[in-house]
Amino acid sequence: MSEQTGKQLSKEEKDARFEAELLPVLDPLYNFAYRLTLDEDDANDLVQETYLKAYRFFDYFEQGTNAKAWLFRILKNSFINEFRKKSKQPAKVDYSEVEGYYNSEDVEGESGVASTTDMRTESVQDLIGDEVASALNALPVDFRTVIILCDLEGFTYEEMAKILDIPIGTVRSRLHRARNSLKEKLEKYAKTMGYNS
Amino acid sequence: MESKITEVYHKEPDERHNTDCSKVSEMLDLVIDGEATSEEERFFNTHLEECVSCFETHQKQKLLKGIISGHLKRVIVPESLALSIKARIQETL
Repeated sequence: MSEQTGKQLSKEEKDARFEAELLPVLDPLYNFAYRLTLDEDDANDLVQETYLKAYRFFDYFEQGTNAKAWLFRILKNSFINEFRKKSKQPAKVDYSEVEGYYNSEDVEGESGVASTTDMRTESVQDLIGDEVASALNALPVDFRTVIILCDLEGFTYEEMAKILDIPIGTVRSRLHRARNSLKEKLEKYAKTMGYNS
Repeated sequence: MESKITEVYHKEPDERHNTDCSKVSEMLDLVIDGEATSEEERFFNTHLEECVSCFETHQKQKLLKGIISGHLKRVIVPESLALSIKARIQETL
């Protein structure tokens, strides 16, 4: 199939273009794969699989196309087809372990992360990161996915709809439900940040 | 008669307020994610100046997004991965 192309790029030219246009997405792609599979080896395999698929269809890739969204879509589909069954069960969150490590009586409302002034040390930052990761990992994969795409990778609703192959309305409702679910999971943590629901 | 009119008059802003609150609540994610139109954003911001409850909900939702994007650690890509990909592509015809 992929040989049927009007473009006459040599193998070297094709490889160079491929590397220049698609390899810069490696970091976000690997992070996405890791958040989906929760396993480094699986993430590694999934990313390699994604790039090989992309390479097979690279002749159809037009310059200016959203390479990141395209790769994310391929990866998501590969995950559904091949990796979902063997991905690990999420770990349970143990809030009591982290509760006592930080306080947050005075929270600034200006930005979401403004209250980090209360949490200077690296170990505390790590604990918060672990807490957020546990809460995220405990979400069903469809919910986890929209949070990653929107809040971590900054995709627009339209891009998310294309990556996930669902209508924008579904993106919105999934995101809304995912956030509600996260809110519940992060409740104790959030309370220490001055976020009382 | 007059008291009835007054009653109706008093009710209206409340109802409008509630409708505005639910509209704003539906727009919340759009605004947080930068997906709202400028008209929606104007409506949203105007309402927030008049409604403490919606103002607080907005702050909380913003905080949640900030916590996620600000505190989740990124994993480091293994150095060998890019090389493996390049090698496998080289082998592909």
